[in-house]
Amino acid sequence: MGYEIVKLESVCYSYPRNKDHVLYNINLSVKKGEFIVIIGENGSGKTTLCKCLNGIIPHSERGRFRGRVLIDSMDTRSAYLSEIAKKVGIVLEDPESQLFTTTVFNEVAFGPENLNLPVEEIKATVKWVLEAVGLKGLENRSPATLSGGQKQRLALASVLAMKPAVMVLDEPTSQLDPLGTEEFFSIIEELKGRFGMTIIMATHKTDEVLPLADRICVLHRGRILACDKPEIVFSTVDLLEKIKIPVPTCFSLSNYLKDKGGLNINSFATPEEAEEEIRVLLNHQEKY
Amino acid sequence: MALPTSYIPRDSIIHKLDPRIKLVIIVCITLLVFITTKFLPIGILFFSLLVLWKISGIPLKRILSYLRVLVFLFLLLIIMQAVFYPGEKVLLEPLIPEAVPLVGGKGNITLEGVLFGLLLCLRVLTLMCIFPVLLATTTLEKITLAMVKLGLPYRVAFTATTAINQLPVLQSEAGVIMDAQKLRGFMVFETGRFLSKIKALHVLVVPLVMGSMRRASMMGIAMDSRAFGAFKKRTFVDEINIERRDRIALAVFSLFTGVILFFSF
Repeated sequence: MGYEIVKLESVCYSYPRNKDHVLYNINLSVKKGEFIVIIGENGSGKTTLCKCLNGIIPHSERGRFRGRVLIDSMDTRSAYLSEIAKKVGIVLEDPESQLFTTTVFNEVAFGPENLNLPVEEIKATVKWVLEAVGLKGLENRSPATLSGGQKQRLALASVLAMKPAVMVLDEPTSQLDPLGTEEFFSIIEELKGRFGMTIIMATHKTDEVLPLADRICVLHRGRILACDKPEIVFSTVDLLEKIKIPVPTCFSLSNYLKDKGGLNINSFATPEEAEEEIRVLLNHQEKY
Repeated sequence: MALPTSYIPRDSIIHKLDPRIKLVIIVCITLLVFITTKFLPIGILFFSLLVLWKISGIPLKRILSYLRVLVFLFLLLIIMQAVFYPGEKVLLEPLIPEAVPLVGGKGNITLEGVLFGLLLCLRVLTLMCIFPVLLATTTLEKITLAMVKLGLPYRVAFTATTAINQLPVLQSEAGVIMDAQKLRGFMVFETGRFLSKIKALHVLVVPLVMGSMRRASMMGIAMDSRAFGAFKKRTFVDEINIERRDRIALAVFSLFTGVILFFSF
Protein backbone atom coordinates (compact mmCIF):
# COMPACT_ATOMS: atom_id res chain seq x y z
CA MET A 1 0.00 0.00 0.00
CA GLY A 2 1.22 3.40 -0.93
CA TYR A 3 0.61 6.99 -0.13
CA GLU A 4 -2.65 8.58 0.92
CA ILE A 5 -4.59 9.07 -2.30
CA VAL A 6 -7.86 10.27 -0.75
CA LYS A 7 -7.95 12.48 2.29
CA LEU A 8 -11.01 14.02 3.95
CA GLU A 9 -10.32 16.72 6.52
CA SER A 10 -13.14 17.63 8.89
CA VAL A 11 -15.76 17.54 6.17
CA CYS A 12 -19.19 18.84 7.18
CA TYR A 13 -22.11 19.08 4.83
CA SER A 14 -25.77 19.97 5.02
CA TYR A 15 -28.24 20.08 2.15
CA PRO A 16 -29.85 23.39 1.17
CA ARG A 17 -32.87 24.49 3.21
CA ASN A 18 -32.00 22.01 5.95
CA LYS A 19 -29.78 22.89 8.86
CA ASP A 20 -29.14 19.33 9.98
CA HIS A 21 -25.71 18.04 9.12
CA VAL A 22 -25.78 15.08 6.77
CA LEU A 23 -22.05 14.67 7.28
CA TYR A 24 -20.40 15.89 10.43
CA ASN A 25 -16.68 16.24 10.92
CA ILE A 26 -15.60 13.38 8.69
CA ASN A 27 -11.90 12.60 8.78
CA LEU A 28 -10.76 9.75 6.63
CA SER A 29 -7.66 8.94 4.68
CA VAL A 30 -7.44 6.16 2.17
CA LYS A 31 -4.16 4.72 0.97
CA LYS A 32 -3.54 3.78 -2.63
CA GLY A 33 -4.72 0.24 -3.31
CA GLU A 34 -6.92 0.06 -0.25
CA PHE A 35 -10.47 -1.29 -0.28
CA ILE A 36 -12.67 0.64 2.11
CA VAL A 37 -16.26 -0.31 2.73
CA ILE A 38 -18.72 2.20 4.11
CA ILE A 39 -21.65 0.70 5.94
CA GLY A 40 -24.57 2.39 7.62
CA GLU A 41 -28.34 2.31 7.68
CA ASN A 42 -30.41 4.18 5.11
CA GLY A 43 -30.05 7.92 5.55
CA SER A 44 -26.75 7.68 7.41
CA GLY A 45 -24.97 9.75 4.75
CA LYS A 46 -23.32 7.06 2.65
CA THR A 47 -24.42 8.47 -0.70
CA THR A 48 -23.57 12.02 0.37
CA LEU A 49 -20.10 10.90 1.39
CA CYS A 50 -19.62 9.20 -1.98
CA LYS A 51 -20.66 12.36 -3.77
CA CYS A 52 -18.09 14.36 -1.80
CA LEU A 53 -15.33 12.09 -3.02
CA ASN A 54 -15.52 13.13 -6.66
CA GLY A 55 -16.55 16.73 -6.24
CA ILE A 56 -20.26 16.39 -7.12
CA ILE A 57 -20.53 18.02 -3.70
CA PRO A 58 -19.84 20.95 -3.61
CA HIS A 59 -19.77 21.50 -7.43
CA SER A 60 -23.14 20.22 -8.62
CA GLU A 61 -25.14 20.08 -5.40
CA ARG A 62 -25.37 23.20 -3.36
CA GLY A 63 -25.60 23.29 0.40
CA ARG A 64 -23.18 24.10 3.20
CA PHE A 65 -19.85 22.40 2.69
CA ARG A 66 -16.93 22.82 5.05
CA GLY A 67 -13.60 21.07 5.32
CA ARG A 68 -11.42 19.73 2.53
CA VAL A 69 -11.39 16.71 0.29
CA LEU A 70 -8.01 16.02 -1.26
CA ILE A 71 -7.63 13.61 -4.15
CA ASP A 72 -3.98 12.99 -4.85
CA SER A 73 -3.33 16.30 -3.04
CA MET A 74 -5.77 18.11 -5.39
CA ASP A 75 -8.50 20.04 -3.58
CA THR A 76 -11.91 19.09 -5.01
CA ARG A 77 -13.24 22.60 -4.42
CA SER A 78 -10.80 24.28 -6.76
CA ALA A 79 -10.47 21.55 -9.42
CA TYR A 80 -12.88 21.12 -12.32
CA LEU A 81 -15.21 18.14 -12.14
CA SER A 82 -13.87 16.82 -15.41
CA GLU A 83 -10.37 16.98 -13.96
CA ILE A 84 -11.40 15.06 -10.86
CA ALA A 85 -13.15 12.57 -13.14
CA LYS A 86 -9.79 11.52 -14.55
CA LYS A 87 -8.76 10.33 -11.08
CA VAL A 88 -11.99 9.31 -9.40
CA GLY A 89 -14.69 7.24 -11.07
CA ILE A 90 -18.08 6.99 -9.43
CA VAL A 91 -20.89 4.52 -10.00
CA LEU A 92 -24.15 5.76 -8.54
CA GLU A 93 -26.94 3.60 -7.22
CA ASP A 94 -29.52 4.18 -9.94
CA PRO A 95 -28.06 2.80 -13.16
CA GLU A 96 -30.84 4.09 -15.45
CA SER A 97 -29.92 7.75 -15.31
CA GLN A 98 -26.24 6.99 -15.80
CA LEU A 99 -26.78 5.43 -19.19
CA PHE A 100 -27.57 7.86 -21.97
CA THR A 101 -26.21 6.59 -25.27
CA THR A 102 -27.77 4.25 -27.82
CA THR A 103 -25.48 1.23 -27.67
CA VAL A 104 -23.54 -0.60 -24.99
CA PHE A 105 -20.34 -0.01 -26.96
CA ASN A 106 -20.86 3.74 -27.19
CA GLU A 107 -21.82 3.89 -23.52
CA VAL A 108 -18.48 2.45 -22.46
CA ALA A 109 -16.58 4.50 -25.03
CA PHE A 110 -18.16 7.79 -23.91
CA GLY A 111 -15.74 8.47 -21.04
CA PRO A 112 -12.50 7.62 -22.88
CA GLU A 113 -13.74 9.64 -25.87
CA ASN A 114 -14.08 12.67 -23.61
CA LEU A 115 -10.53 12.08 -22.42
CA ASN A 116 -9.44 12.43 -26.05
CA LEU A 117 -7.70 9.05 -26.17
CA PRO A 118 -6.71 7.48 -29.51
CA VAL A 119 -9.46 5.43 -31.22
CA GLU A 120 -7.50 2.16 -31.20
CA GLU A 121 -6.83 2.42 -27.49
CA ILE A 122 -10.51 3.13 -26.78
CA LYS A 123 -11.61 0.12 -28.81
CA ALA A 124 -9.18 -2.13 -26.94
CA THR A 125 -10.28 -0.74 -23.57
CA VAL A 126 -13.98 -1.21 -24.35
CA LYS A 127 -13.34 -4.80 -25.39
CA TRP A 128 -11.41 -5.54 -22.21
CA VAL A 129 -13.87 -3.82 -19.89
CA LEU A 130 -16.94 -5.49 -21.38
CA GLU A 131 -15.22 -8.84 -21.03
CA ALA A 132 -14.32 -8.08 -17.43
CA VAL A 133 -17.89 -7.29 -16.42
CA GLY A 134 -19.39 -10.12 -18.47
CA LEU A 135 -21.22 -8.08 -21.08
CA LYS A 136 -19.23 -9.36 -24.03
CA GLY A 137 -21.36 -9.88 -27.13
CA LEU A 138 -23.88 -7.20 -26.18
CA GLU A 139 -21.92 -4.35 -27.79
CA ASN A 140 -24.68 -3.36 -30.20
CA ARG A 141 -27.60 -3.69 -27.80
CA SER A 142 -29.35 -0.59 -26.54
CA PRO A 143 -28.70 -0.01 -22.81
CA ALA A 144 -32.44 0.51 -22.35
CA THR A 145 -33.10 -3.13 -23.29
CA LEU A 146 -30.73 -4.62 -20.69
CA SER A 147 -31.85 -6.17 -17.40
CA GLY A 148 -31.36 -4.32 -14.10
CA GLY A 149 -28.27 -6.30 -13.24
CA GLN A 150 -26.76 -5.84 -16.68
CA LYS A 151 -27.39 -2.11 -16.44
CA GLN A 152 -25.55 -1.95 -13.14
CA ARG A 153 -22.61 -3.84 -14.61
CA LEU A 154 -22.66 -1.55 -17.65
CA ALA A 155 -22.59 1.50 -15.36
CA LEU A 156 -19.51 0.00 -13.69
CA ALA A 157 -17.93 -0.79 -17.06
CA SER A 158 -18.46 2.72 -18.37
CA VAL A 159 -16.61 4.20 -15.41
CA LEU A 160 -13.98 1.47 -15.40
CA ALA A 161 -13.12 2.27 -19.01
CA MET A 162 -11.67 5.59 -17.87
CA LYS A 163 -9.18 3.66 -15.72
CA PRO A 164 -9.54 5.88 -12.66
CA ALA A 165 -7.07 5.49 -9.80
CA VAL A 166 -9.91 5.60 -7.30
CA MET A 167 -13.25 3.90 -7.79
CA VAL A 168 -16.23 5.03 -5.73
CA LEU A 169 -19.20 2.66 -5.74
CA ASP A 170 -22.50 3.64 -4.17
CA GLU A 171 -24.50 0.48 -3.49
CA PRO A 172 -23.51 -0.99 -6.83
CA THR A 173 -25.21 -4.32 -6.22
CA SER A 174 -28.60 -3.06 -5.06
CA GLN A 175 -30.38 -4.48 -8.12
CA LEU A 176 -28.42 -7.71 -8.44
CA ASP A 177 -29.57 -11.16 -7.35
CA PRO A 178 -27.27 -13.18 -5.05
CA LEU A 179 -25.46 -14.80 -7.98
CA GLY A 180 -25.04 -11.44 -9.74
CA THR A 181 -23.75 -9.93 -6.50
CA GLU A 182 -21.19 -12.70 -6.20
CA GLU A 183 -20.06 -12.11 -9.79
CA PHE A 184 -19.85 -8.38 -9.17
CA PHE A 185 -17.64 -8.85 -6.15
CA SER A 186 -15.36 -11.16 -8.07
CA ILE A 187 -14.89 -8.34 -10.60
CA ILE A 188 -14.06 -6.01 -7.74
CA GLU A 189 -11.62 -8.55 -6.33
CA GLU A 190 -9.85 -8.69 -9.68
CA LEU A 191 -9.65 -4.90 -9.89
CA LYS A 192 -8.14 -4.74 -6.46
CA GLY A 193 -5.77 -7.66 -6.89
CA ARG A 194 -4.62 -7.23 -10.48
CA PHE A 195 -4.68 -3.50 -10.91
CA GLY A 196 -4.19 -2.26 -7.38
CA MET A 197 -7.19 0.03 -7.77
CA THR A 198 -8.28 2.00 -4.74
CA ILE A 199 -11.90 1.17 -4.05
CA ILE A 200 -14.38 2.90 -1.77
CA MET A 201 -17.74 1.16 -1.66
CA ALA A 202 -20.94 1.93 0.18
CA THR A 203 -23.04 -1.19 0.65
CA HIS A 204 -25.43 -3.12 2.87
CA LYS A 205 -24.05 -6.49 1.88
CA THR A 206 -21.58 -7.09 4.69
CA ASP A 207 -21.28 -10.84 4.12
CA GLU A 208 -19.87 -10.41 0.63
CA VAL A 209 -17.43 -7.60 1.36
CA LEU A 210 -15.99 -9.21 4.46
CA PRO A 211 -13.22 -11.24 2.79
CA LEU A 212 -12.24 -8.35 0.50
CA ALA A 213 -12.34 -5.23 2.63
CA ASP A 214 -9.21 -3.78 4.16
CA ARG A 215 -11.17 -1.50 6.42
CA ILE A 216 -14.80 -1.06 7.34
CA CYS A 217 -16.14 2.41 8.08
CA VAL A 218 -19.33 2.59 10.10
CA LEU A 219 -21.33 5.69 9.34
CA HIS A 220 -24.16 6.67 11.63
CA ARG A 221 -26.12 9.90 11.36
CA GLY A 222 -23.31 11.53 9.40
CA ARG A 223 -20.50 10.59 11.75
CA ILE A 224 -17.89 7.91 11.46
CA LEU A 225 -18.34 5.67 14.50
CA ALA A 226 -15.57 3.26 13.67
CA CYS A 227 -13.11 2.72 10.88
CA ASP A 228 -10.92 -0.30 11.28
CA LYS A 229 -10.17 -3.85 10.14
CA PRO A 230 -13.32 -5.95 9.60
CA GLU A 231 -12.52 -8.32 12.49
CA ILE A 232 -12.34 -5.43 14.90
CA VAL A 233 -15.36 -3.54 13.63
CA PHE A 234 -17.64 -6.56 13.45
CA SER A 235 -16.69 -7.82 16.89
CA THR A 236 -18.77 -4.95 18.30
CA VAL A 237 -21.92 -6.85 17.32
CA ASP A 238 -24.20 -5.26 19.91
CA LEU A 239 -23.38 -1.74 18.83
CA LEU A 240 -23.86 -2.58 15.16
CA GLU A 241 -27.19 -4.27 15.78
CA LYS A 242 -28.33 -1.26 17.74
CA ILE A 243 -27.72 1.02 14.76
CA LYS A 244 -29.31 -1.52 12.41
CA ILE A 245 -26.28 -2.64 10.49
CA PRO A 246 -26.38 -6.25 9.35
CA VAL A 247 -23.51 -8.12 10.92
CA PRO A 248 -21.95 -10.83 8.73
CA THR A 249 -23.57 -14.20 9.45
CA CYS A 250 -20.42 -15.81 10.87
CA PHE A 251 -19.77 -12.96 13.29
CA SER A 252 -23.34 -12.93 14.44
CA LEU A 253 -23.26 -16.70 14.95
CA SER A 254 -20.00 -16.69 16.90
CA ASN A 255 -21.25 -13.87 19.03
CA TYR A 256 -24.49 -15.71 19.72
CA LEU A 257 -22.67 -18.91 20.68
CA LYS A 258 -20.37 -17.01 23.02
CA ASP A 259 -22.89 -14.74 24.68
CA LYS A 260 -26.18 -16.60 24.70
CA GLY A 261 -24.85 -20.13 24.37
CA GLY A 262 -22.09 -19.62 26.91
CA LEU A 263 -19.57 -21.54 24.80
CA ASN A 264 -15.90 -20.89 25.33
CA ILE A 265 -14.75 -20.24 21.75
CA ASN A 266 -12.83 -17.63 19.80
CA SER A 267 -14.68 -15.34 17.39
CA PHE A 268 -14.74 -16.55 13.79
CA ALA A 269 -15.22 -14.60 10.61
CA THR A 270 -15.38 -17.29 7.91
CA PRO A 271 -16.95 -20.75 7.59
CA GLU A 272 -13.44 -22.21 7.65
CA GLU A 273 -12.64 -20.56 10.95
CA ALA A 274 -15.99 -21.71 12.29
CA GLU A 275 -15.18 -25.29 11.35
CA GLU A 276 -11.87 -24.99 13.15
CA GLU A 277 -13.53 -23.72 16.30
CA ILE A 278 -16.15 -26.44 16.26
CA ARG A 279 -13.46 -29.13 15.87
CA VAL A 280 -11.57 -27.71 18.81
CA LEU A 281 -14.77 -27.73 20.82
CA LEU A 282 -15.59 -31.35 19.85
CA ASN A 283 -12.06 -32.54 20.66
CA HIS A 284 -12.34 -30.83 23.97
CA GLN A 285 -15.60 -32.65 24.75
CA GLU A 286 -14.24 -36.05 23.69
CA LYS A 287 -11.37 -35.70 26.15
CA TYR A 288 -13.72 -35.53 29.08
CA MET B 1 -44.48 0.66 -29.25
CA ALA B 2 -41.57 1.84 -31.32
CA LEU B 3 -41.37 5.59 -31.58
CA PRO B 4 -40.90 7.21 -34.99
CA THR B 5 -37.50 8.29 -33.72
CA SER B 6 -36.09 4.87 -33.01
CA TYR B 7 -33.13 3.45 -34.91
CA ILE B 8 -33.77 0.36 -37.03
CA PRO B 9 -30.61 -1.72 -37.42
CA ARG B 10 -30.44 -2.72 -41.09
CA ASP B 11 -27.87 -2.77 -43.81
CA SER B 12 -29.63 -0.69 -46.47
CA ILE B 13 -27.95 1.76 -48.84
CA ILE B 14 -29.49 4.61 -46.84
CA HIS B 15 -27.95 3.27 -43.63
CA LYS B 16 -24.57 3.34 -45.35
CA LEU B 17 -24.79 6.93 -46.56
CA ASP B 18 -22.76 9.55 -44.74
CA PRO B 19 -24.98 11.21 -42.11
CA ARG B 20 -23.84 14.64 -43.30
CA ILE B 21 -25.30 13.93 -46.74
CA LYS B 22 -28.47 12.67 -45.10
CA LEU B 23 -28.72 15.80 -42.96
CA VAL B 24 -28.30 18.05 -46.00
CA ILE B 25 -30.86 16.09 -48.02
CA ILE B 26 -33.36 16.20 -45.19
CA VAL B 27 -33.01 19.93 -44.68
CA CYS B 28 -33.45 20.43 -48.43
CA ILE B 29 -36.57 18.26 -48.59
CA THR B 30 -38.04 20.23 -45.68
CA LEU B 31 -37.38 23.49 -47.53
CA LEU B 32 -38.94 22.04 -50.70
CA VAL B 33 -42.12 21.16 -48.81
CA PHE B 34 -42.36 24.75 -47.63
CA ILE B 35 -41.65 26.21 -51.08
CA THR B 36 -44.04 24.14 -53.17
CA THR B 37 -47.74 24.96 -53.22
CA LYS B 38 -48.93 22.52 -55.86
CA PHE B 39 -50.30 19.02 -55.66
CA LEU B 40 -48.01 17.37 -58.18
CA PRO B 41 -44.60 18.22 -56.64
CA ILE B 42 -45.84 17.53 -53.09
CA GLY B 43 -47.26 14.25 -54.30
CA ILE B 44 -43.93 13.34 -55.86
CA LEU B 45 -42.11 14.30 -52.65
CA PHE B 46 -44.51 12.24 -50.52
CA PHE B 47 -44.23 9.24 -52.80
CA SER B 48 -40.41 9.44 -52.91
CA LEU B 49 -40.28 9.58 -49.11
CA LEU B 50 -42.40 6.44 -48.97
CA VAL B 51 -39.91 4.77 -51.30
CA LEU B 52 -37.08 5.86 -48.98
CA TRP B 53 -39.05 4.43 -46.04
CA LYS B 54 -39.40 1.12 -47.85
CA ILE B 55 -35.67 1.00 -48.61
CA SER B 56 -34.71 1.91 -45.03
CA GLY B 57 -36.96 -0.81 -43.66
CA ILE B 58 -39.40 1.47 -41.84
CA PRO B 59 -42.82 -0.20 -41.74
CA LEU B 60 -45.23 1.83 -43.87
CA LYS B 61 -47.96 1.07 -41.33
CA ARG B 62 -46.52 3.85 -39.22
CA ILE B 63 -48.23 6.36 -41.48
CA LEU B 64 -51.54 5.09 -40.12
CA SER B 65 -50.49 5.89 -36.57
CA TYR B 66 -49.52 9.41 -37.72
CA LEU B 67 -52.94 9.79 -39.32
CA ARG B 68 -54.64 8.71 -36.12
CA VAL B 69 -52.86 11.46 -34.20
CA LEU B 70 -53.35 14.09 -36.89
CA VAL B 71 -56.93 13.41 -37.89
CA PHE B 72 -58.34 16.25 -35.75
CA LEU B 73 -55.81 18.73 -37.08
CA PHE B 74 -56.56 17.64 -40.63
CA LEU B 75 -60.33 17.99 -40.21
CA LEU B 76 -59.85 21.44 -38.72
CA LEU B 77 -57.51 22.47 -41.55
CA ILE B 78 -59.91 21.31 -44.27
CA ILE B 79 -62.95 22.94 -42.66
CA MET B 80 -61.17 26.23 -42.00
CA GLN B 81 -59.76 26.40 -45.51
CA ALA B 82 -63.06 25.33 -47.06
CA VAL B 83 -64.90 28.15 -45.32
CA PHE B 84 -62.40 30.96 -45.49
CA TYR B 85 -60.37 30.34 -48.66
CA PRO B 86 -61.50 32.69 -51.42
CA GLY B 87 -62.78 30.64 -54.36
CA GLU B 88 -65.11 30.59 -57.34
CA LYS B 89 -66.68 27.15 -57.50
CA VAL B 90 -69.20 27.11 -54.67
CA LEU B 91 -70.02 23.66 -53.38
CA LEU B 92 -72.30 24.69 -50.54
CA GLU B 93 -74.32 27.86 -49.98
CA PRO B 94 -73.30 30.33 -47.26
CA LEU B 95 -73.30 28.88 -43.79
CA ILE B 96 -74.28 32.19 -42.27
CA PRO B 97 -77.63 33.64 -43.46
CA GLU B 98 -77.67 37.03 -45.28
CA ALA B 99 -79.70 38.55 -42.46
CA VAL B 100 -76.83 38.47 -39.98
CA PRO B 101 -75.10 41.86 -39.99
CA LEU B 102 -71.42 42.18 -40.96
CA VAL B 103 -70.67 38.49 -41.53
CA GLY B 104 -73.90 37.66 -43.36
CA GLY B 105 -73.43 35.79 -46.62
CA LYS B 106 -69.86 34.74 -45.80
CA GLY B 107 -68.73 31.18 -45.42
CA ASN B 108 -69.19 29.68 -48.84
CA ILE B 109 -67.65 26.28 -49.03
CA THR B 110 -65.64 26.35 -52.22
CA LEU B 111 -63.90 23.63 -54.18
CA GLU B 112 -60.67 25.62 -54.13
CA GLY B 113 -60.87 25.85 -50.34
CA VAL B 114 -61.35 22.12 -49.88
CA LEU B 115 -58.49 21.39 -52.27
CA PHE B 116 -56.23 23.86 -50.51
CA GLY B 117 -57.08 22.25 -47.18
CA LEU B 118 -56.23 18.83 -48.57
CA LEU B 119 -52.95 20.21 -49.92
CA LEU B 120 -52.04 21.57 -46.49
CA CYS B 121 -52.79 18.19 -44.94
CA LEU B 122 -50.57 16.44 -47.46
CA ARG B 123 -47.78 18.91 -46.73
CA VAL B 124 -48.02 18.30 -42.99
CA LEU B 125 -48.00 14.55 -43.57
CA THR B 126 -44.99 14.84 -45.88
CA LEU B 127 -43.13 16.87 -43.25
CA MET B 128 -43.85 14.16 -40.71
CA CYS B 129 -42.38 11.53 -43.02
CA ILE B 130 -39.02 13.26 -43.43
CA PHE B 131 -37.27 12.78 -40.10
CA PRO B 132 -37.80 9.03 -39.67
CA VAL B 133 -35.64 8.53 -42.77
CA LEU B 134 -32.66 10.00 -40.90
CA LEU B 135 -33.41 8.66 -37.43
CA ALA B 136 -34.24 5.11 -38.47
CA THR B 137 -31.08 4.74 -40.50
CA THR B 138 -28.47 6.57 -38.42
CA THR B 139 -27.34 6.02 -34.83
CA LEU B 140 -27.56 9.15 -32.69
CA GLU B 141 -23.81 9.03 -32.12
CA LYS B 142 -23.26 9.31 -35.86
CA ILE B 143 -25.73 12.19 -36.12
CA THR B 144 -23.84 13.94 -33.32
CA LEU B 145 -20.59 13.38 -35.15
CA ALA B 146 -22.09 14.67 -38.39
CA MET B 147 -23.30 17.83 -36.66
CA VAL B 148 -19.86 18.37 -35.14
CA LYS B 149 -18.20 17.89 -38.53
CA LEU B 150 -20.65 20.38 -40.02
CA GLY B 151 -19.34 22.91 -37.51
CA LEU B 152 -21.73 22.72 -34.56
CA PRO B 153 -20.16 22.73 -31.07
CA TYR B 154 -20.13 19.24 -29.53
CA ARG B 155 -22.18 20.35 -26.54
CA VAL B 156 -25.01 21.59 -28.76
CA ALA B 157 -24.96 18.49 -30.95
CA PHE B 158 -24.90 16.20 -27.91
CA THR B 159 -27.81 18.04 -26.31
CA ALA B 160 -29.91 17.77 -29.47
CA THR B 161 -29.35 14.05 -30.00
CA THR B 162 -29.70 13.21 -26.32
CA ALA B 163 -33.08 14.94 -26.26
CA ILE B 164 -34.18 12.62 -29.07
CA ASN B 165 -32.71 9.66 -27.23
CA GLN B 166 -34.69 10.49 -24.10
CA LEU B 167 -38.08 10.44 -25.85
CA PRO B 168 -38.65 6.69 -25.44
CA VAL B 169 -37.59 6.97 -21.79
CA LEU B 170 -40.17 9.71 -21.27
CA GLN B 171 -42.79 7.63 -23.02
CA SER B 172 -42.19 4.56 -20.87
CA GLU B 173 -42.14 6.71 -17.74
CA ALA B 174 -45.53 8.17 -18.67
CA GLY B 175 -46.81 4.60 -19.03
CA VAL B 176 -45.49 3.68 -15.59
CA ILE B 177 -47.08 6.74 -13.98
CA MET B 178 -50.44 6.03 -15.61
CA ASP B 179 -50.32 2.40 -14.53
CA ALA B 180 -49.42 3.40 -10.98
CA GLN B 181 -52.41 5.73 -10.87
CA LYS B 182 -54.76 3.14 -12.36
CA LEU B 183 -53.62 0.65 -9.73
CA ARG B 184 -54.55 3.13 -7.04
CA GLY B 185 -58.05 3.42 -8.39
CA PHE B 186 -57.74 6.43 -10.69
CA MET B 187 -60.27 5.59 -13.40
CA VAL B 188 -60.16 8.59 -15.73
CA PHE B 189 -57.39 7.34 -18.05
CA GLU B 190 -59.31 4.11 -18.63
CA THR B 191 -62.96 5.01 -18.67
CA GLY B 192 -63.09 8.80 -18.80
CA ARG B 193 -64.39 10.88 -21.67
CA PHE B 194 -62.03 12.84 -23.89
CA LEU B 195 -62.55 16.12 -22.00
CA SER B 196 -62.15 14.62 -18.55
CA LYS B 197 -59.00 12.88 -19.76
CA ILE B 198 -57.61 16.26 -20.79
CA LYS B 199 -58.63 17.74 -17.46
CA ALA B 200 -56.86 14.90 -15.65
CA LEU B 201 -53.69 15.41 -17.62
CA HIS B 202 -52.02 17.36 -14.81
CA VAL B 203 -51.78 14.25 -12.65
CA LEU B 204 -49.68 12.74 -15.42
CA VAL B 205 -47.71 15.78 -16.49
CA VAL B 206 -46.59 17.02 -13.08
CA PRO B 207 -44.87 13.80 -11.96
CA LEU B 208 -43.49 13.33 -15.47
CA VAL B 209 -41.88 16.77 -15.54
CA MET B 210 -40.58 16.46 -11.99
CA GLY B 211 -39.19 13.03 -12.79
CA SER B 212 -37.42 14.16 -15.92
CA MET B 213 -35.90 17.14 -14.12
CA ARG B 214 -34.52 14.81 -11.47
CA ARG B 215 -33.29 12.47 -14.18
CA ALA B 216 -31.63 15.34 -16.02
CA SER B 217 -29.71 16.43 -12.95
CA MET B 218 -28.61 12.84 -12.27
CA MET B 219 -27.53 12.53 -15.87
CA GLY B 220 -25.54 15.73 -15.57
CA ILE B 221 -23.72 14.27 -12.60
CA ALA B 222 -23.04 11.03 -14.47
CA MET B 223 -21.73 12.99 -17.46
CA ASP B 224 -19.48 15.12 -15.29
CA SER B 225 -18.08 12.02 -13.64
CA ARG B 226 -17.23 10.72 -17.07
CA ALA B 227 -15.21 13.82 -17.94
CA PHE B 228 -17.74 15.41 -20.29
CA GLY B 229 -16.06 18.47 -21.77
CA ALA B 230 -12.70 17.79 -20.11
CA PHE B 231 -10.77 18.63 -23.26
CA LYS B 232 -11.53 20.97 -26.11
CA LYS B 233 -10.95 18.14 -28.54
CA ARG B 234 -12.66 14.83 -28.16
CA THR B 235 -12.21 11.44 -29.80
CA PHE B 236 -15.05 9.89 -31.79
CA VAL B 237 -14.93 6.14 -32.08
CA ASP B 238 -17.42 6.23 -34.95
CA GLU B 239 -16.06 7.15 -38.34
CA ILE B 240 -17.87 8.87 -41.16
CA ASN B 241 -16.42 9.36 -44.61
CA ILE B 242 -17.85 10.81 -47.76
CA GLU B 243 -17.45 8.14 -50.43
CA ARG B 244 -18.44 7.61 -54.01
CA ARG B 245 -21.98 6.50 -53.19
CA ASP B 246 -22.47 9.71 -51.17
CA ARG B 247 -21.48 11.82 -54.15
CA ILE B 248 -23.81 9.85 -56.40
CA ALA B 249 -26.64 10.23 -53.87
CA LEU B 250 -26.06 13.96 -53.76
CA ALA B 251 -26.07 14.19 -57.56
CA VAL B 252 -29.29 12.19 -57.84
CA PHE B 253 -30.88 14.35 -55.17
CA SER B 254 -29.86 17.58 -56.95
CA LEU B 255 -31.54 16.31 -60.10
CA PHE B 256 -34.62 15.39 -58.06
CA THR B 257 -34.70 18.89 -56.54
CA GLY B 258 -34.55 20.34 -60.04
CA VAL B 259 -37.57 18.27 -61.11
CA ILE B 260 -39.56 19.31 -58.03
CA LEU B 261 -38.72 22.98 -58.56
CA PHE B 262 -39.65 22.66 -62.25
CA PHE B 263 -43.13 21.41 -61.34
CA SER B 264 -43.51 23.94 -58.53
CA PHE B 265 -43.40 27.11 -60.58
